Amino acid sequence: MPVQLEVKDLMKYFRIPVGFLHAVDGVSFQLEEGKTLGVVGESGCGKSTLGRAILGLNEATGGQVIFEGEDVTHLKGASRKAYKKKVQIIFQDPFSSLDARMNVQSLIEEPLKVLGTYRNKTDRLEKVDELMDTVGLAGRYKTSYPHELDGGRRQRIGIARALAMDPRLIVCDEPVSALDVSIQAQILNLLADLQEEKGLTYIFITHNLSVVKHISDRIMVMYCGCLAEMADTDSLFEQPLHPYTKGLLSAIPVPSLHVQRNEILLEGEIQSPINPRPGCRFAGRCCYATQLCRAETPKPAELLPGHIVSCHHAGEING
Amino acid sequence: MELLQIKDLRIQFNTDTGIVHAVNGVDLSLQEGECLGLVGETGAGKTTTALGILDLIQTPPGKIVSGEILYKGRNIREMKPHEIRDLRGNEISMIFQDPMSALNPVIPVGHQIAEVIRLHQKCSKNEADRQMLAMLEKVRIPAERADEYPHQFSGGMKQRVVIAIALACNPKLLIADEPTTALDVTIQAQVLKMIRELQQEIHTSMLLITHDLGIVAQTCEKVAIMYAGEIVESGTAEDIFDRTAHPYTKGLFASIPSIDRKMRRLTPIEGLMPDPTDLPAGCSFGPRCPYVSDLCREHKPELQEIGAGHFCRCHFPSQKRSPEKEGQ
Repeated sequence: MPVQLEVKDLMKYFRIPVGFLHAVDGVSFQLEEGKTLGVVGESGCGKSTLGRAILGLNEATGGQVIFEGEDVTHLKGASRKAYKKKVQIIFQDPFSSLDARMNVQSLIEEPLKVLGTYRNKTDRLEKVDELMDTVGLAGRYKTSYPHELDGGRRQRIGIARALAMDPRLIVCDEPVSALDVSIQAQILNLLADLQEEKGLTYIFITHNLSVVKHISDRIMVMYCGCLAEMADTDSLFEQPLHPYTKGLLSAIPVPSLHVQRNEILLEGEIQSPINPRPGCRFAGRCCYATQLCRAETPKPAELLPGHIVSCHHAGEING
Repeated sequence: MELLQIKDLRIQFNTDTGIVHAVNGVDLSLQEGECLGLVGETGAGKTTTALGILDLIQTPPGKIVSGEILYKGRNIREMKPHEIRDLRGNEISMIFQDPMSALNPVIPVGHQIAEVIRLHQKCSKNEADRQMLAMLEKVRIPAERADEYPHQFSGGMKQRVVIAIALACNPKLLIADEPTTALDVTIQAQVLKMIRELQQEIHTSMLLITHDLGIVAQTCEKVAIMYAGEIVESGTAEDIFDRTAHPYTKGLFASIPSIDRKMRRLTPIEGLMPDPTDLPAGCSFGPRCPYVSDLCREHKPELQEIGAGHFCRCHFPSQKRSPEKEGQ
């Protein structure tokens, strides 16, 4: 499959009163068409900012986003509008991302109006029906308002809105974390079906490691704005190389009484991304940290084929 | 001896749209030193049950309609307000879900811990402060941070402060309502480990409310599964995880993406939880159940014992009871 999206050394800093918050600090990856990249990390690690920077919702401070061969990092005007038809986002919270005063039909119609693909009202409403059918919303909900619907149905509206433009790539920003497990499974199945049907590419942002394992082809682990490790899903779960990934994987509560895990408890908490000093950002919590880790930021390196890790000592730790 | 026994607890809320049947005949019992996991999805009535135990249901609109809550054999519902106040925070205490809103933002955390000690132990200010500092140390917060305010702490540390308040008076019963839901997974692991260690250290019984079966597997000996205000299955952790009987419990397990196996598709439970103002006449899980029959639609199943100490609210539990969970 051809590479659809290429992100090169992407940076997004936010100016705050005491300096800069380094939300995303030099992240690079490539994503093939029709595949899913899972982005995992804890709150504040920059995973949502990364997604938004790719969409152009937050303009990148540095680096490049190349989509289908075109540099889309700093688009303006008509070319920006054209790019937006190709990339869309599904937001985390279906309770706050929908206008409470619009009914389901107008909510789904809105993107069709805004980007001007369908000038004719009848065509637009036909497309709304088609979209509602695609995401499994019964026609009788057309006149309902968001507050009348449960979380799962609201998230289906969000998905229909994202699909309205027939996008090529969808950034899914924690699309199931506000939902109960039984409803979460319905939405995950829907996303998988849509991908198969339409050949969509997903960037799937989540903190839930079981979900990310289920849906992703490749996974990127982020820590404090930086890429810690990136590998194909099986490779990452079978052979995590970064000390943070190891701790993260061992912290997942497994719903079974027969799984024995050697628990690696990570002490301490995430370092602040405000004016970070050079050095590995995980060093404060890492049991292998040395002088080198505190002085120099590790560069991502391909330790095994396709398996990238940012750690000075990854080679030694993993023998 | 049973430390806590709940018999046929029913709690309702009167709202504009009708009577919300939040808790519909819950029976639970908790032995001394035991940890019971109460599992269910949003709106199943887990938190309402917990608030009922502490007599914290806001009345109106809420009301405990019937049932007994026996703590050490005495019915909490018949106690006088001052007697309940003596229990609350002292013998029975609660860890709330959201540490961001459970703490008072304008009072230093040390005072908030010392407050509960002074209130219940009638000791001097200095003695309370001494105990407060010992408590802070137990939850691994440096003593010099006692004078800081909640906003100066991270989420995980705030939850540790909440734990310190809950455990300050060495309670006999700890109710933890989704204590780690607001936390990141590595912080969650730290906090769970701490709760487990402290629970063993001071021999507290615990009622752990959660929607995460993974946390239950790690922490609890006994489990009760709640659906639409009822206990649908209860038993030991082995009963629930290895000899799952109720179709809802099975559905929950099938909905969780497995970390150990590759699955192409998940098997969700179709449909939604029933409207608590308009519960179905028969089995409340009936409309979503793949095995539903006419009997289920007309008659509500009773909680019946299908193995020693293993209860299930289903007309046909034996047919669906798997010796070992299929496929695992």
